[in-house]
Amino acid sequence: MNGSSMGRRGAGLILGAVVLAALVLPPFYLSGYWVRVITGLLMYGALASAINIMVGLAGYPALGNIVFFGTGAYTVAVLMVKADTPFFLALAVAGVVAAVYAALLGAAVLRLRGAYFSIATIGINHATSELVTNLDGLTGGGRGTIVPFFPGSIEAERMFFYFLMLALMLLATGTVYLISRNRLGYGLRAIKADEQAASVMGVNTTRYKVLAWTISAGLTGLVGGAYAYWLAFLEPPYVFDIVMSVKVYIMAILGGAGTVIGPVVGAFFLELLSELIWGRFLEAHMLVLGIVVVLVVLFVPRGFVDLAGRLARALAGGSASRRAEGVRSDG
Amino acid sequence: MVSEPLLRVEGLEVAYGEVQVLWGLDLAVAEQEVVALVGSNGAGKTTTLKALAGALRPRAGRIVFEGRDITGRPAADAVRTGIVLVPEGRQLFAGMSVHENLMMGAYARQDGMGAIRQDLDWVYELFRELAKKRGQLAGTLSGGEQQMCAIGRGLMAKPRLLLLDELSLGLAPVIVDRLVEIVTRIHRERGLAILLVEQDLNVALAMAGRGYVLETGRLVRSGAAEELLADEAVRAAYLGM
Repeated sequence: MNGSSMGRRGAGLILGAVVLAALVLPPFYLSGYWVRVITGLLMYGALASAINIMVGLAGYPALGNIVFFGTGAYTVAVLMVKADTPFFLALAVAGVVAAVYAALLGAAVLRLRGAYFSIATIGINHATSELVTNLDGLTGGGRGTIVPFFPGSIEAERMFFYFLMLALMLLATGTVYLISRNRLGYGLRAIKADEQAASVMGVNTTRYKVLAWTISAGLTGLVGGAYAYWLAFLEPPYVFDIVMSVKVYIMAILGGAGTVIGPVVGAFFLELLSELIWGRFLEAHMLVLGIVVVLVVLFVPRGFVDLAGRLARALAGGSASRRAEGVRSDG
Repeated sequence: MVSEPLLRVEGLEVAYGEVQVLWGLDLAVAEQEVVALVGSNGAGKTTTLKALAGALRPRAGRIVFEGRDITGRPAADAVRTGIVLVPEGRQLFAGMSVHENLMMGAYARQDGMGAIRQDLDWVYELFRELAKKRGQLAGTLSGGEQQMCAIGRGLMAKPRLLLLDELSLGLAPVIVDRLVEIVTRIHRERGLAILLVEQDLNVALAMAGRGYVLETGRLVRSGAAEELLADEAVRAAYLGM
């Protein structure tokens, strides 16, 4: 047992090193186009991990979670444009603003369950988008706003945003890992399985749900803030985009809601697919998205990670039974 | 009864919106006592247990536990005061293993892993079939095993008062007999106070020393188990026997 667990640990270390290299090396070797594509993958990985805290861990379909992305984006824009705030300070404030927004909303909205909660989050997203559009003097309203450009060469900019999004993705995924292994994670799983049973077992369900949403929103707000600086031009429909929200939601489900790595896998898969194939179907890409959703629900309802696990078990089981047959035929 | 009982309920009224289902309920459970709450469908039995566990907020009345007024505090706090509900229909955490379900029972405990492990061993000894299936997902257990898991989860919370809702619901008579035997054993070994709700009068009064009969939200009779069992009026009018 010792030997095999050490072997497994060794394999884990090697795998970790390979993954790390695969994440760190690309911007040094790939063309500008591909670095930009992968920066986008990392951003969606971060967003999918952030929504996973609500959808996967707590079982709350926060379909309008993109509201915190937009909130974070506009916080960074307003602070940088109106107050000359340095980017990283503005980014930190964006995370806090989004988190506080969720905490305030959560006390009211998290009384709703299932589809009702989902609809409420979509409504909040629309309301917030309208608010930002109408706060003309502050946000530039419907005309949009230009965020100060990154002060450096194109190469430096490329590197900067690549590693910024990588850091945010690792932060979001790391947060999911930590939550799923502590008391909060167990409480959330219990809420997901049966909220009333969780409460009669001593889980303070309201506090936990609000906490989960606050963390999810804070992470989403950070990514939105980074996106604002990356894109350098904001308009409410860009960052309060419900289609983008649904896409992130699908990524989390597709990869495996509730698992640590699944949503990142789902994000990479769907974004890469969109980049490689949908670019050639500009007219029909929503149709393709719809078909992917239907296929996912039909064939991988628990996501890629679960599917991979089942395949691995089936293969291991198959070879074990073959070995057993071999033994029998020998005897 | 001169000394203060473990649980005292006075004038409890509970409503779901406009529809009131409990009207001025009074009841008491002493230390180490097993009490049954019986009555037909819709009498308000489950509502009573939910109100005691904090899952429903009463409209009026008082709930006094160990001399303290605990009316209206939330469910998560009820567990900490020692009132633990084993809900109707089990309500296990389907996506978690048997072991994780049992450990969820100990979620609110502060008395350390040593004490929790001891109780876990005790639960596995009470329900040997669970020990064999500790890694299995709770949703895939048979009905009887699920009920065992739910009772085990309740015991893991280290209750001072265990609320058992419809223990026998949907289970084969053989399994019900087994559960009755185990509940009796739990009571004997730990001196645990139990308030149980049953539609099946015989099952209820096989475990309980005393009973209350509810009819459409009002208390209509109470007394020793054998008295109630012998009472033709109770059997005929309230239990359809």
